[in-house]
Amino acid sequence: MPVAIGNYIALSAVMFFLGVAGVLLRRNPLVTLMSIELMFNAANLLFMAFARAWLANAGQVFAFLVITVAAAEAAIGLAIVVTTFRDEKNVDVDEIRLMRG
Amino acid sequence: MTGIHHVMGVDGSYPLLVALWLLPLAGAIACWVLGPQLKTAAGWLAGAVVAASFVLATLSWGAGTQNVAGALGAHQALLSWIPGFDFGLLLDPLSLLWTFVITGVGFLILFYSMGYMEGDRAYARFFAYMSFFVFAMLTLVLSDNFVGLLIGWGLVGLASYFLIGFWFDRPTAVAAARKAFVMNVVGDVAIMFAIFAIVTKLHSTAFGDVFASAGAFGPKLLFVICIALFIGAAAKSAQIPLHTWLPDAMEGPTPVSALIHAATMVTAGVYLIARCAPLWSASHDAALLAGTIGGLTAIAGAILGCVQWDIKRILAYSTMSQIGYMIMGVGVGAYEGGVAHFFTHAFFKAQLFLASGLIIHALANEQDVRKMGGLRKKMPLAFWAILTGVLSICGIPGFSGFFSKDRIIFGTLQHGHPWLYAVGIVTAGLTAYYMFRLLFITFLGRYRGDVDPAELGMRPQPTVTADAAHAAHRTPAWIMGLPVAILMVPTVAIGAALMFGGEDSPWARYFAPQFGAQTLPAPGISEGMTSLIVLLFVIAGFAIAWWRYAAKAAQADAVARLRSESVRMPAVLTNLFYFDAVIDLIFVRTSQLFGTLFERVLDPHVIDGAVREVTLVTRAAGAFVQAAESGLVRAYALILALGAACFIVYYAFAAGGLH
Repeated sequence: MPVAIGNYIALSAVMFFLGVAGVLLRRNPLVTLMSIELMFNAANLLFMAFARAWLANAGQVFAFLVITVAAAEAAIGLAIVVTTFRDEKNVDVDEIRLMRG
Repeated sequence: MTGIHHVMGVDGSYPLLVALWLLPLAGAIACWVLGPQLKTAAGWLAGAVVAASFVLATLSWGAGTQNVAGALGAHQALLSWIPGFDFGLLLDPLSLLWTFVITGVGFLILFYSMGYMEGDRAYARFFAYMSFFVFAMLTLVLSDNFVGLLIGWGLVGLASYFLIGFWFDRPTAVAAARKAFVMNVVGDVAIMFAIFAIVTKLHSTAFGDVFASAGAFGPKLLFVICIALFIGAAAKSAQIPLHTWLPDAMEGPTPVSALIHAATMVTAGVYLIARCAPLWSASHDAALLAGTIGGLTAIAGAILGCVQWDIKRILAYSTMSQIGYMIMGVGVGAYEGGVAHFFTHAFFKAQLFLASGLIIHALANEQDVRKMGGLRKKMPLAFWAILTGVLSICGIPGFSGFFSKDRIIFGTLQHGHPWLYAVGIVTAGLTAYYMFRLLFITFLGRYRGDVDPAELGMRPQPTVTADAAHAAHRTPAWIMGLPVAILMVPTVAIGAALMFGGEDSPWARYFAPQFGAQTLPAPGISEGMTSLIVLLFVIAGFAIAWWRYAAKAAQADAVARLRSESVRMPAVLTNLFYFDAVIDLIFVRTSQLFGTLFERVLDPHVIDGAVREVTLVTRAAGAFVQAAESGLVRAYALILALGAACFIVYYAFAAGGLH
């Protein structure tokens, strides 16, 4: 017996808002990156769920694309974090305000 | 009105005219570019090109005077601009006469300059300017349309600026050059407006088209055109109230004065009115205006000539007065007489200036007649030249001036202006007085160069440093003497040769096709009677001058008399009728006032203020936006999330809701 689509949507929403909360509230960039991954995966879960429900394979293809982008994003994000840490000896995102106008 | 195309002069190729016109320009450019290499050859080169122009003008006699089915003279098309606005050269009796004088008298003056300017450090530049001046004047008189005339008009002003300010290390010369240029530009602008007025009615500025439809303008527009043209003429020809640049222009070298006064520049106004004779004849008001201003200028110039001490300034005011005569003549409609006076005046005034230049050259730049005296024996050529010039300008019967001046005076009466007639006669008497005064003070009595200036009543003046031209006289004397001697011939004889015999004279026959035959009612006073009255006034003027400066008693205590005349001179005359002061007050001070106003109020508060306002607004906006750029990544993320939330809310509720 297949799981009802509403459950997937609910889980995805919870995951997404957990991610948003993590990005907005945590000051450790590594956690921020992980929160972003959480949001990506909330989206992926929706893609898969709807692809399954409506038998539309495009959703599965999109999920692969999102995973790829997420990997690239994580690589760049981690590189920035490492570089910043070398310079500042500090990875608190509130302390690093190089873009202040 | 685009259909008509009326060309004055026989249309067709006449390339000689282009050569005649451009030769002086080529000479000017050559003198300018090759000046250091040419050295003294620059004078010969400039003289040669102007002489070549004169020869070409002589060869063009037949073309200039031909009369084929009403088309008078020769026409050479140059280039087409907008249809109806073609440039070309026109050689008819009027412009041919001017070309003769410009190149002929111009050549003699250039020849003379080779002696006068000897050793000047800018010798070649001087001849480049002089040659350019001749070219500018030729452009003015040979042009076949108003735009070309205006171009020549402006170039003449530019050339005069160069030459009056030739000795640019003298502040007075620079000021005089600037004054001449500015006052001339007033005239240029006026002529431009005349052209605008013409173009409003007529899609052409060619003389032929404009004159052919003189009647189509209507009296009001015609009067406006004539007034604008007259302002141009007045500025160039030093008519009241635009005359004040002319005496100041004496700051230039003496040959420049001769060229400006005799051959070029100041006679341009006479040319303009004579050229526009069809317009002038059609507008009675314009004739009255030009005649009145001319008469006023004639008498004012003569009065001011009586109280000058600088030999060149006396001559300058005499020019102003004589040009006043010419403008009065051509203004009221006596074109042929006015042009005749231009012709004779060119010779005797060039001669007077060149002869006075001989004196100035010999006395190391002394120009004050009070410091002269007794020069008759020492400088016989200058004496005879000035004597014949004086006799001619006074209109002694037989001399050239007699024929032309009496023609003008009688012409004013013929055209119904008895007041101008009276002014002309009185001015003739004044002319005799101030010219004989010049002659007597300069040449009779004892040489006063060694007298203390204070004893002569001279105001202390900054000593003019003698320029290099007068340091050493190596040029043979005949270089300067010959042109003066040559000019004496036409000064004495050209009037009798050409203008004797009234309507049957060669002069009248030459101009008959140009100005047309005028049938005028015979005035109450005959021409012979007029000459007699003028002669009486001239004799009276001469007698007063003789009594005051040449009689035995006057010569005996000349120093004391000159002193008392200098000291007692009325303020209104020493201040030259306050023309400069009034112009200064109305135009210069007012402009300065506006300038100060702009500097104090408009510039700092309005223009700079506007710029400052813009910067303030930009800064305030920047400060506002800057607050958002906190650099806090989480703040950005929050804004992003809120933005996304807004979209979601909008699409969820406003745009149709969720299904």
